[in-house]
Amino acid sequence: MPVVELNINRIKKLVSGNATRKQILDVLPFLGLDIESEDGDEIRIEYSPNRPDYSTDYGIATGLQGLLGIKKGIQKIPIKKIEQFAIKVDSSVTKIRPYVTGIIATNGKLDDLSIKQLMNMQEDLHYGIGRKRKKSSIGLHDADKISFPLTYTTMPREHKFVPLNSNVEQTIDEILTNTEVGQNYGWVIENAKNVPIILDSEQNTISFPPIINSALTIVTPNTKNILIEVTGIDKESAEDMLSVVVSILQTAGFEFNELKITGNKNSTPQLKDRTIMYDPKFTSEILGIDLTPSVSVTCLKKCRLDASVKGKKITCTIPRYRFDIFGPMDLVEEIALGYGIANIKPKLSPSTTIGQKNNVTIKTELITKTAVGLGFLEVMNSSLTSKKILYEMTKRNLSEIISVLDSKSREHTILRDSLLPSLLENLSKNIHESYPQKLFETGVVFSKGKPIGESINFAVVIAYKDTNYSEIKAIMQSLLQTNFKISSQTKTSKNQELFASGRHADIFVDEKKIGEIGEIDSAILENFRIRTSVVGFEIKLSGLIFD
Amino acid sequence: MSQVFHDIEKKILETLQKVSNQTPEQLSKNTELSIDQIRRGIEWLRLKEFAIVNESEKITFSLGPNGLDSLKNGLPERKLINMLKDEPKTFEQIRSALSGAGFNVAIANAKKNGWIKIEKNNFNSLVSIKEKPIETPEEKLLSFIGEKTVSREEITNPLAMKILLSRPNYIIQNSQKSKTISLTDAALSLDTTVSSSGAIDVEADVPSIFAARTHPLQDTIDEIREIFVNLGFSEIIGNMTQSSFWNFDALFTPQDHPARELQDTFYLEDIESKNPATSSQIKNVSSSHNKNWKYDWKLSESQKMVLRTHTTCVTIKHLAEQKPENARIFSLGRVFRNEKVSYKHLVEFNQIEGIVIGNNTTLRDLMGIQKEFYRKLGLTKIKFWPTFFPYTEPSLQTMVYNEKLGKWIELFGMGIFRPEVTKPLGIDKPVLAWGGGIERIAMLKYELDDVREFYNNNLSWLRSV
Repeated sequence: MPVVELNINRIKKLVSGNATRKQILDVLPFLGLDIESEDGDEIRIEYSPNRPDYSTDYGIATGLQGLLGIKKGIQKIPIKKIEQFAIKVDSSVTKIRPYVTGIIATNGKLDDLSIKQLMNMQEDLHYGIGRKRKKSSIGLHDADKISFPLTYTTMPREHKFVPLNSNVEQTIDEILTNTEVGQNYGWVIENAKNVPIILDSEQNTISFPPIINSALTIVTPNTKNILIEVTGIDKESAEDMLSVVVSILQTAGFEFNELKITGNKNSTPQLKDRTIMYDPKFTSEILGIDLTPSVSVTCLKKCRLDASVKGKKITCTIPRYRFDIFGPMDLVEEIALGYGIANIKPKLSPSTTIGQKNNVTIKTELITKTAVGLGFLEVMNSSLTSKKILYEMTKRNLSEIISVLDSKSREHTILRDSLLPSLLENLSKNIHESYPQKLFETGVVFSKGKPIGESINFAVVIAYKDTNYSEIKAIMQSLLQTNFKISSQTKTSKNQELFASGRHADIFVDEKKIGEIGEIDSAILENFRIRTSVVGFEIKLSGLIFD
Repeated sequence: MSQVFHDIEKKILETLQKVSNQTPEQLSKNTELSIDQIRRGIEWLRLKEFAIVNESEKITFSLGPNGLDSLKNGLPERKLINMLKDEPKTFEQIRSALSGAGFNVAIANAKKNGWIKIEKNNFNSLVSIKEKPIETPEEKLLSFIGEKTVSREEITNPLAMKILLSRPNYIIQNSQKSKTISLTDAALSLDTTVSSSGAIDVEADVPSIFAARTHPLQDTIDEIREIFVNLGFSEIIGNMTQSSFWNFDALFTPQDHPARELQDTFYLEDIESKNPATSSQIKNVSSSHNKNWKYDWKLSESQKMVLRTHTTCVTIKHLAEQKPENARIFSLGRVFRNEKVSYKHLVEFNQIEGIVIGNNTTLRDLMGIQKEFYRKLGLTKIKFWPTFFPYTEPSLQTMVYNEKLGKWIELFGMGIFRPEVTKPLGIDKPVLAWGGGIERIAMLKYELDDVREFYNNNLSWLRSV
């Protein structure tokens, strides 16, 4: 979950009213924000990726005002058309990044902390709804450094400009190789011959979306008017992103002027609210509480939505940046938040069903009981293990190996097809503990086929100097005999690397092979640095004691 | 009554019957038992009233440096008298002859003994012999001790000793505590050869053995499963390997969502599920994605096989297939995340998830089930906070107060399946869902702060926990 850093005094100021520190800290979790840590006035908050408006203190303050009852309902965002700002879209962008949207934020003031927060917000938006900048990406510019109208077009890779955080002109290729953002996000534009570029009327490069802005238009604490541009492969998601930034900048004190967008299926963003008709019966059906429509309306308003009662229904107005709201079910949650989760009391209704364990569990419990009765200690190993343990150290056949892609942990790359290798690994890690060591494990093993076969196996090992084949065979027979009354036979089998030659067998029940048993070969024990005798067996329980 | 003796006791008895009053050290030497065994044996015999432990303290005296000097040259007051033998002397003369503190001591004691008189004139004090000085008891004692060590019993004049002890560094006093063991009359006449042997040292250390047992994490899993069953839930079991369709698509996770990337989810190499679901399920899920997430849903993405990231894929598939009218079911098992392993993260851990469909399926009912679940685990201080899960709405998380840690801890999550999840699969009623990781609860139970301990299979931990 993404994290935002807040200063409690700044939040108090933004919330205004007379909210105390304690009230704010108490209410934050009820907005769905987890307080990760608190260090004096600095608090770290985890927010859900579905609420990108909570990526800055401005957005959080807006939410707090609602739940604290300081300000309710939608903050209206008037968009003026005083000045003529425009951007024209060239058809060459169609194939690579067809959409641009934007707005001009005016008459605002940003301090260093606000700029830092906006930058973090941008990164969170890029990662989440921007899908790592592929779907949409955002650029903020000092509008006073730009000569309008702008053109959104493409340029060849030899095109040069001074990118952000640099003071020399670089070509597109140089930017993609030399800058960190170029290396991280170059993949988005793949090998396109011409790349997206925003130019101003004097042919200055403003931005190279979705990679980097130009140094010319950098936003500083002296910036008063900001151009926000969002480019992307989907018009609506670009406008989603724009709407979040607009709502945050509005709380930061900016006003807005339209940016006229034309050309190539692009159009000026409207950032309009939408309405959803809500049937108040959902409240009692879903939440289990009875609220009058007017109370529901208040709850919705506390969540910074607008609502009014219309006959038996509620008309709810959703601001553009709340694109996390899909339908009435989302409004139920808003009502619950507005009402206060703490005010909804748990209710224990008697169960009308009778609970039951699965047969697999019941049977596994039985064999576990016998194993413990016979003096075995249960171990639990990962199903995802390593090639080294599964195949290399045990010299097992690896033709049926099932790997996962790009594991972050080298010890966890292969799905196990047998339990014995991990049990040997357990013995290997415990050579300093007292003997005898008697271990067992019940677990899922995997095999290839339609598309993956999963079955539950059971394996046992015994380690101490005098153990031998007879002992493990006696244990195996007892485990199957007790409770299950299964009689088993052991039959000489062809040599296997895992077992000492001439001292192992296949286990059969009713003419069907269910496993293998034997003394572990000394060469294998050496691989595991085990300096005592080890015997063991492994059987497939699936199909034997349950289906 | 025949007595039963341990071999240690027998050896001590036999030795003491030959020679009484031996110290433990002597007994150890004579019986060839260790001093610890002797101590234990003596204690057992004492409790059985066969041995008497005599404790005594021996005090001895010898001369210290000042004492030895006085033995040779006389006490300071004797030195003074010797100086005055021929003629009286002034303080100045005496002081220069008797160095340091000796002067004051000599004057004071000689005066106390009545040996000297002091006349003061205008300029000086003159000291002369008053009486013939006889040998004092202290002087007698000094020469009696001489260079020997004598015991307190040998001293005939305790007053003189007291005086000498009060003078610094004249006498060295030593005290030694000793213990000797003797036998009671009953023991002296015991015939140890007829008393039966075979008693054992019931206090000696024995080798450790360890109980065979189930794994502590398995115990927690079983405990939690039992609570679910008691709450009316029935267990279903599903595969750990799942198609992306059931792990993600059916749960309304868009195909370009970051959680679906390789770096968070384990994809199986070169393995696909050709027909992950029925054609109508695929059609409905696909159109729900296209409509709500506004992108181009692809079948190929949903065919990729993953290690399940939650057990929800098992429950939702069960619902979609069985379409029960009224049911409480749960699924429990391993789930996987492609994470770096650390003290708080595993790539593979256990999760349980229960769902309720049918009657009493409001958020309040869900909260009630949670409260009862935690009560059965012994956790009574709980509260609910809103949270976000992609496939439930509304969504809550339970916060449980941990007394030992003194803080609120996030445990299970819960919510009502979004209609975007249930509708495409033909499920019309609200479905409550709740669950979470089991290791977290087991960590609290066993007071572990490193979750990896559960899978280390360290025998010293498993045998002792």
